[in-house]
Amino acid sequence: MNAREDEIRRVVAELDVHVAEVEASVAVLKALLADGEGPREEDPR
Amino acid sequence: MTDVTSQTLRLWRESKGWDVPRMARELRKAARDSGEDVAAHHGLVKMIPQWERGNRAPRERYRLLYLKVFEDIAGGLSPAMASGAEYVVRLAAVRSRAASLPGPGQIRALEAAALARPRKTMTPAEIRALAAESIASLHQVAGKLAELSALLGEDEVGEDEVGEGTS
Repeated sequence: MNAREDEIRRVVAELDVHVAEVEASVAVLKALLADGEGPREEDPR
Repeated sequence: MTDVTSQTLRLWRESKGWDVPRMARELRKAARDSGEDVAAHHGLVKMIPQWERGNRAPRERYRLLYLKVFEDIAGGLSPAMASGAEYVVRLAAVRSRAASLPGPGQIRALEAAALARPRKTMTPAEIRALAAESIASLHQVAGKLAELSALLGEDEVGEDEVGEGTS
């Protein structure tokens, strides 16, 4: 295993982490929207 | 490619969204391009599932054709590294996930929609922070993809390879 291949593996691992971060936060935002489809709690009566 | 498992052959094919007949056509095309003689289409359609199930191992000429067909996955890697089947599949998978991420514009649209419908679960400040973190991570993804392309000796792709909304 040479240095370049080690470097490629490191970058792939970091890429994996950053992709997972984006996926996780987008999932939260989408869940918020799905959760917010009902009537708004602060709507005046 | 001696370490590539039968499962890897299937994963490589599936990572392209190809069915077995399409895989057979691609192998035959790669063979034609290099002036090699290979089995007829229907023969390959029978052999590919056998290779993928591990019932039999592809001969060397077919193994080399696989490497040629999946050059974009295994390309730029040394034979030793290309034989790390799990690694190659992981590389293809993470790039595919990166390509399907939403762009910054779509994340901002999600943020705006979430802010327009406030819920008790998250404050507006938390929603803004989450969207900002998400966009920052998206830039990190683009940076890592560009770094990876440079290491693999590919043309620069960077932001173009990430999501849909980066333009």
